[in-house]
Amino acid sequence: MPSAKPLAITGYSVLNALGASREAVLDALAAGRTGLAPATLPLPFETAAGAVTAALPELPAALAPWSTKVARMAAHLVAGIEPALAKARERWRPERIAVLMGTSTAGAEATEQAYKTYVEEGALPADYDFRRQHTYGAVLHVVGELAGARGPAWMVSTACTSSAKPFASAQRLIAAGLIDAAIVGGIDTLCAMTLQGFHSLGALDSRPCRPFSTERAGISIGEGGALVLVERDGDARALVEGVGESSDAYHISAPHPEGQGATDAMARALAQAGVAPGDIDHVNAHGTGTRLNDTAEAKAIAGLFGGDVPVVSTKGYTGHTLGAAGATEVAMALFAIEEGFVPASLGAEDKDPAIALTIPTATTRGRFRRVLSNSFAFGGNNVSVIVRGV
Amino acid sequence: MNAIHTIITGVGVFAAGFANAGAWSAGAPDATVEAPTGEALDKRSRRRASRLTRALSDVVAEAAAQAGADLSVVPTVFGSALGEADTMIGLLDTMWREKAALSPTSFAMSVHNAASGLISIAAGNRGFTTSLAADYDTPGTALLEAVGLALADDLPVVVACADEAAPRDLVPDAERFELLAVALVLARPGSPAAANALATMRGPVFEAPTIVGAPARDELARNPQIGLLDVVDAVLRGRSGVVRLDRGRGRGLAVELGAP
Repeated sequence: MPSAKPLAITGYSVLNALGASREAVLDALAAGRTGLAPATLPLPFETAAGAVTAALPELPAALAPWSTKVARMAAHLVAGIEPALAKARERWRPERIAVLMGTSTAGAEATEQAYKTYVEEGALPADYDFRRQHTYGAVLHVVGELAGARGPAWMVSTACTSSAKPFASAQRLIAAGLIDAAIVGGIDTLCAMTLQGFHSLGALDSRPCRPFSTERAGISIGEGGALVLVERDGDARALVEGVGESSDAYHISAPHPEGQGATDAMARALAQAGVAPGDIDHVNAHGTGTRLNDTAEAKAIAGLFGGDVPVVSTKGYTGHTLGAAGATEVAMALFAIEEGFVPASLGAEDKDPAIALTIPTATTRGRFRRVLSNSFAFGGNNVSVIVRGV
Repeated sequence: MNAIHTIITGVGVFAAGFANAGAWSAGAPDATVEAPTGEALDKRSRRRASRLTRALSDVVAEAAAQAGADLSVVPTVFGSALGEADTMIGLLDTMWREKAALSPTSFAMSVHNAASGLISIAAGNRGFTTSLAADYDTPGTALLEAVGLALADDLPVVVACADEAAPRDLVPDAERFELLAVALVLARPGSPAAANALATMRGPVFEAPTIVGAPARDELARNPQIGLLDVVDAVLRGRSGVVRLDRGRGRGLAVELGAP
């Protein structure tokens, strides 16, 4: 894979169980404070979840029919990158700014509530609108309108890699000369259906997740999102240097046991960035807390990077935000670069001896110039993103 | 938006009455063709696959065979406005109506990229695959993602779009549609994969159409993927001109087709 011209990251925003701003999330990470708490959704079992508790803005009146939690979360994230967007709109025509996002649930949170009403009362809520509140296109419409972006717009939905893949889509569209800038990222909300689904797979921990721990027993689901404004060039805070994409071709819901697809994705990201494994200062792991994922990912990381690079899973803070995880964890990688610290990998104190990696369990301060972030998904879909400081 | 030129080297179609692109172009529906087969999937995957995934598998296999594209290595782009919405409604029924535990298999198959995953597993493809949605712009944006990939490599790219009928309980009858799946194989001009050209393609771009969509019954014409069927129809009939990819319901993306 040939090296690609890096993309300039000119702004980003985050929203998750840790808070609704970059500063709030950073404070929680630095303090080692989790956002996970007992789930409050109606469930026939106990589990922890990372819920967004911040107040969300109402949409403008013209977008009121699109108003769902996921849309309001998206509106909050757009507002977070508005200063950078304003500059981008001065540089590029609106039709040269794309909206390339990812989600796994889209409006499922609204639909599951509406469908519950339908089952119990025989009619959907009067204000429920499938096309404007459920579909993948609904959030795209809201983001495009609020951001003033008129370029190509699509929602990737490849489960837990959904919001990592748009970084590669933006690279290709910019390289092809089709756009100059893109709002990339993703968003997902907590749904009872998702929690029950992962419970049915035996993949949900009853306690807050413990990635890389001997006692790890599954994931904790979270909600949230992140948006990153990338541009052809410009006043960059950091750069997207490489994105590697691969498939396991192994199983629909279990990773390749040796982490073959994960290795391929990381190696392709390195090749595209034109850097060696030794040039990576930190890995933000997919690190879900399931026995299979963490073991396979650890083999892949150790095989490519050895055991010395600090590897952290931030899912102990936010939960697994599913379709939003890729972009959320690129933001975590940017925090490491910009703030010079890697948070403790929560829950990893009793590290599995089979995990031959350096998993910090306390905040690590230092210079992290180049960071790789992993995302792996149902379908055997894998993405690794490398970001670098400037 | 600048225009990108690619070469169309393979096509595939599934709709009720039409098992493949050849049947579509012949214009004579076969009433015995009701459901996609998913024959290209391995036995285990076929058993798990939804109608949507089977249809996507069928059109991918048809288009790839025509183009001579090796499904174990080529990038694949899947598009669906609604994805596995029927599977999701089944899960909600289990949860809210039956108040029972969800089936782990149904949950795993409810993801939008179920077809992308199962087809990559069946083909043993460890390369690129993606799954995207953009309402009625799904065909146009899937083609944009595909042309970006085609320019980046010598490999051909398979783009396949499908939608299953919107969930009956959630969508008014007048907005419902029937299953339609369409696939194209694209190659970069001058690449070895472009040798078996059926047509040239410029775009997607925002342009006014010069070719009117193929006649189709309302239930098919309402499908978000109808514009891609219009492209295949024009290719099979050797027509040149601009084909709109959304039949007026989206933002107006179109492609210009020409003789190879």
